[in-house]
Amino acid sequence: MKNKRKTNLILNMDHDRLGDFFPLLQKGVTVEAHVGCSLELLLSHQWQIPAEYAAQRITTIFLNSRPIDSLATAIINEDAVIALSGAMPGLVGATMRRGGYYAAMREGITHHATAGNGVDRNATVRVKLFNLLLPELGPGFLQRGIIIPAGELSRFFNGKSEYFWQGCRSALLDNFPILPHLLSREDLFPDQSTVRLSVNFPSPDKQDKCVNDFTNS
Amino acid sequence: MDKIARIDMGAAGGPKVTVGDLGEYAGLGGRAMTSLMVAAEVHPLAHPLGAENKLVISPGMLSGTTGSMTGRLSVGCKSPLTGTIKESNAGGQAAQVLARLGYAAVVLEGKPEGDDLYKIVINKDGIQVIVDNSLKLMDNYPLVAKLREEYGDKVAYMTIGSAGERKLLAASIACTDPELRPTRHCGRGGVGAVMGAKRVKAIILDDAGMKMRPPKDPEKYRDANRKFVEGLRKHPVTGEGLPAYGTNVLTNVLNEAGGYPAYNFKSGQFAESANLSGETQAALEIQRGGSATHGCHRGCVIQCSGIYNDKDGNYVTKQPEYETVWSHGGHCGISNLDTVAKLDYMDDNIGVDTIEMGVTIGVAMDAGLAEFGDDAAAIRLMEEVEKGTPLGRVLGSGAAITGKVFGVERVPVVKDQALPAYDPRAVQGIGVTYATTTQGADHTAGYAIATNILKVGGDVDPLKTEGQIELSRNLQIATAAIDSTGMCLFIAFAIMDQPETFQALLDMLGSFHGITMTGDDVVALGKKVLSAERDFNTRAGFTKHHDRLPRFFYNEPIAPHNQTFMMKDEELDEVFNW
Ligand code: SF4
Repeated sequence: MKNKRKTNLILNMDHDRLGDFFPLLQKGVTVEAHVGCSLELLLSHQWQIPAEYAAQRITTIFLNSRPIDSLATAIINEDAVIALSGAMPGLVGATMRRGGYYAAMREGITHHATAGNGVDRNATVRVKLFNLLLPELGPGFLQRGIIIPAGELSRFFNGKSEYFWQGCRSALLDNFPILPHLLSREDLFPDQSTVRLSVNFPSPDKQDKCVNDFTNS
Repeated sequence: MDKIARIDMGAAGGPKVTVGDLGEYAGLGGRAMTSLMVAAEVHPLAHPLGAENKLVISPGMLSGTTGSMTGRLSVGCKSPLTGTIKESNAGGQAAQVLARLGYAAVVLEGKPEGDDLYKIVINKDGIQVIVDNSLKLMDNYPLVAKLREEYGDKVAYMTIGSAGERKLLAASIACTDPELRPTRHCGRGGVGAVMGAKRVKAIILDDAGMKMRPPKDPEKYRDANRKFVEGLRKHPVTGEGLPAYGTNVLTNVLNEAGGYPAYNFKSGQFAESANLSGETQAALEIQRGGSATHGCHRGCVIQCSGIYNDKDGNYVTKQPEYETVWSHGGHCGISNLDTVAKLDYMDDNIGVDTIEMGVTIGVAMDAGLAEFGDDAAAIRLMEEVEKGTPLGRVLGSGAAITGKVFGVERVPVVKDQALPAYDPRAVQGIGVTYATTTQGADHTAGYAIATNILKVGGDVDPLKTEGQIELSRNLQIATAAIDSTGMCLFIAFAIMDQPETFQALLDMLGSFHGITMTGDDVVALGKKVLSAERDFNTRAGFTKHHDRLPRFFYNEPIAPHNQTFMMKDEELDEVFNW
């Protein structure tokens, strides 16, 4: 991905089209991040998620498919896959919970403290958002920008209804305005390229609102 | 709930109803009633489909009251699928109505000669057992529609479809929901086959003229219920996650954990899982004019269910649960929610357990009867069950039988009951429960109940592997107790995390029955139920050697963690050592 050409695309969308991006976010999106640090620092400093919110809302976290119990000891390396989830029902939901009472039941797959690869630098990681965190954290990730292969983005736009495009107020492709409908053209992005997609939801920023509501309550 | 009705279906001269007092079963409900009665009254070596077996139907201890979440109905018998004792429970309206009619249990006994089919009508005037051969081989949806023409919409129905009549081992008993759809099933263990063997097609429960069951201390009960509901509403799982996404919210998380068994337990992850997730499902339901939030009975405040419509907005089925989406979805390599919804409808209509059927189709795919990921073939296999063809009868008898008939080695069953949607190689602790439960592999046998608050068996360090045996034991004890109250198991999170909500539950039980209820009492009840169940199984010929997972879990590592099931046999044998 590093040597490929990167196109910048900025969309300004009505807030009620946020749900259209949930399939992308739950499958996982690539984002830029400073790696070599702890997950705690990644969440709080880079993604600006308040510690209290992380403690009480992001109750289940996977790092490379392993449930974690401690944010402080989990070190993020390049290409790490980080999945964030709210509280889950059921016994297995409870066992996956961070530092939960039933953590022993999944001891064999638990993430244990790693030293990391020691390299402290800018890179990319993959992030997945599940359930209640989709509307709460999704807008922040979309606004900061996700990196997506052109083919995947084309497929995403191709499946969109007229209703979606009506909610797209404006689009900037490499800083030039473009009619939103044209984004579903398959030949728009060069083959094998990647796109840095940022999506702004001008009407109330759901992430800030949710996270602030939570912090102030 | 001060009486027990016994209906001897094999009595000379036709079925005979006897209504008596509670006797030694006073104070019991739900699983405590069904299991203690089956253990005491059914010969452990009885043929499950024979006259000696009994089908015990019992509402929970708080069913029929104004209390929230109190509508689970337990059905118990000796299971034709597992050969063990069985308790299978469901939501729907039946428990509330039966409890208001005053019955702590209705027991179907004996077996009639001949092939007449019966319906049983229970109302304030008593119980009638009526021959109705016009219902023969009807499936649940048309059956309930026909019964509604005669008995109307202000009743609750319990029915079996064609699978129950054919005595297929995966057969379920359907209970209608508030909209009178036969969508809530006592699914596990073939309880529908036992009802079919007794030639009972439908039970019509009519509580017209009956009142809510009155608590001994109404004010305290009201207050406790209010606190209980507040606790459920404020907790993120019961107040937000389950209402928004239902149990299928687990798909993404289990897949991420590598504990989502795909392609008949060959992989711990399914590449297309996001297409099946609760998040995707809820968005689709809302978009199509269905609903992602719906209660299976009146008085449910969590409302984990929903309504699944087709693309034209027509009703297909209720919101399929996580286990169903998994069994018919990733387990079979299928990633289309519309296919899963159709199969869920077929399960409910024919009257079979969704977990058993989905797992069976996956085993059949392993046998080469269809390709993994072939949606149309999965539907065709279900149609065989619907028609009752020889192949359909094999499939409808579950994964173990299907595996034997077609020579499949990888058959995910314990005591011949299909494993639910969690791979025990990734989540070893749940494997302990699958292996040792009295019921055959069952994810609800050890649920996330408040064992930390109860401190059943003392404090356990949750971060030590050795704690898993104790955890499983404690969970099974606590679950047996909750299953007896008639409470939906999904209250578990709120009572686990919020001591005041657990106290509210104890106060509901205490103020209703005019006693003081403590955590110790709950533990004692759970142990009593489990001990009776274990004892029955022992007398039925089960030993510690049946408390094991199939060998492939020990021999075949599963991706992505490349782990096998590592619990030692001696450790498993410690679970019931109290
Ligand atoms: S939470 Fe779900 S299963 Fe439980 S009573 Fe409500 S709708 Fe039924």
